[in-house]
Amino acid sequence: MPIRTAIHPELYSPDPADNPSLSGGKCRACGYVFFPPQRYGCESCGALPEKLDAVQLAGRGTLHSYATVHLHMGKDIEAPFTIGLIVLDDGPAIRSTLTSRTDAGLAIGDRMKSVLVAAGTDQAGNEMVELRFAKAEAGK
Amino acid sequence: MKKKLLDMRPIYVVGIGLHRYQRLSETPYVTLGLTAVREALADAALEWRSVESAYTGTALIGMAASRPMLRHLGATGIPMAQVENASASGSTAFRQACIDVAGGLTDVSLALGVDKPGPVAMAPGKTRMRDLVGSRVVPFTHFALLTQEYMTRYGVSAEQIALVAVKNNRNGANNPYAQRQKAVTLEEVMAGPAISGALTRLQCCPVGEGAAAVIVASDDAIAQLGIERKRAVRVIASVTKTEQVYRGAKNFDAELTRETVQQAFNEAGIGPGDLDVIELHDAFTIEELLYVEAMGLCAPGKAAGAIAAGEFDVGGRCAVSASGGLLAMGHPIGPTGAGQIAEITRQLRGEAGVRQQPIAKTGVAHMVGVGAVCVAHILQKGA
Repeated sequence: MPIRTAIHPELYSPDPADNPSLSGGKCRACGYVFFPPQRYGCESCGALPEKLDAVQLAGRGTLHSYATVHLHMGKDIEAPFTIGLIVLDDGPAIRSTLTSRTDAGLAIGDRMKSVLVAAGTDQAGNEMVELRFAKAEAGK
Repeated sequence: MKKKLLDMRPIYVVGIGLHRYQRLSETPYVTLGLTAVREALADAALEWRSVESAYTGTALIGMAASRPMLRHLGATGIPMAQVENASASGSTAFRQACIDVAGGLTDVSLALGVDKPGPVAMAPGKTRMRDLVGSRVVPFTHFALLTQEYMTRYGVSAEQIALVAVKNNRNGANNPYAQRQKAVTLEEVMAGPAISGALTRLQCCPVGEGAAAVIVASDDAIAQLGIERKRAVRVIASVTKTEQVYRGAKNFDAELTRETVQQAFNEAGIGPGDLDVIELHDAFTIEELLYVEAMGLCAPGKAAGAIAAGEFDVGGRCAVSASGGLLAMGHPIGPTGAGQIAEITRQLRGEAGVRQQPIAKTGVAHMVGVGAVCVAHILQKGA
């Protein structure tokens, strides 16, 4: 049975498909929570790498802004697509591709959740998945 | 004890020169740079041999740009170095020239910005810290996100933001050094093509080639070299800062601008109400609104109304981007910050012709750059 692989394995796991968490970091010295994860030193207080713990950040947050990109040179995605700036419930502000191609129906303040979407197959025939964000259903 | 610029010996901009900003051409960078330096030397009525150090702001040309260009002015053996600070490279080169003269290391120093578009290796891409979006978010989408946030928070329309491009292209049409020298209507700006979010093509700056040169001198140099004192414009503050950790989704571009310009005001002993001319980093229309608010020229959310009322036009209460700004004059990267100093100097001398701000005594030049960095200089006539 083919296995699922994440396009950004250092940023999220390929399971579960619905509402996966993100791989972030937290400083034991000052409590600063950050994304993406890194092992260089704390941006907030300068603590050494050994003070930085890997933490899972819940894939839930609030839409702070959004923009539909009409012009894109890269071949990884076709325009138009929509980028969201999301403040995670666990603290960090992140930018993610949204599942909807356009901004129709989006509003700043919307509750958002992570989902994994199919992103082709790798050379071994494994299903690749990419984490994006989608508008969460009301009340969730 | 630490010193601010005003505690050091007085320094002045005494010469300015530019090569027009334009689309990438076959012109060698050497020609672009020499054109600007020779014009600045002629403006100051100085010989090249009077220049005692040279800093070249450049981000795109490659290693060791200075001497292979400047040797054609006559190799005098002076110290030369390249300054790379992303979009603020030219601003930072100017700061280095100011420090040399203010500190008494030299009496005359040159800040030059020169660049040509080309492939460039971006160090942030080599940190091995990937995010979720990678190349899907380029600068215009970063600023499209800020545009949507601003429109929603303050109830401002896309047309109100686009008015920045109308104003700055009107100014650029009067600037022979500008890349875009054509006035545009609001309808033309809004007609697109759409780039990202509410931003259309004319709301994004052109990145081309060009050069800008600024000569900085001391009182001693002015006296000994016969420089015309009444055309000298004093530099009264030079401040640069980098981004700190701002929690949540706080807009770091505006926050960094607020901190940097506030410190420059404090060091110069002035406030936003003293500014007659501003050249700021209007690479995208939204930035002009964010930065005039961050500098304290109007309350948050009020900049769009102020622009619609003509407050920031040439002839308004403070001329913002009288050169055309990055939106119309262009943003060739290395030259941009030095070109701002040239425009402020021209305005404070009263030599800006049809785009002259009627009363121009004090001006600020402001750039931000990837990284994130911010540089602010305050210039004053008769100080």
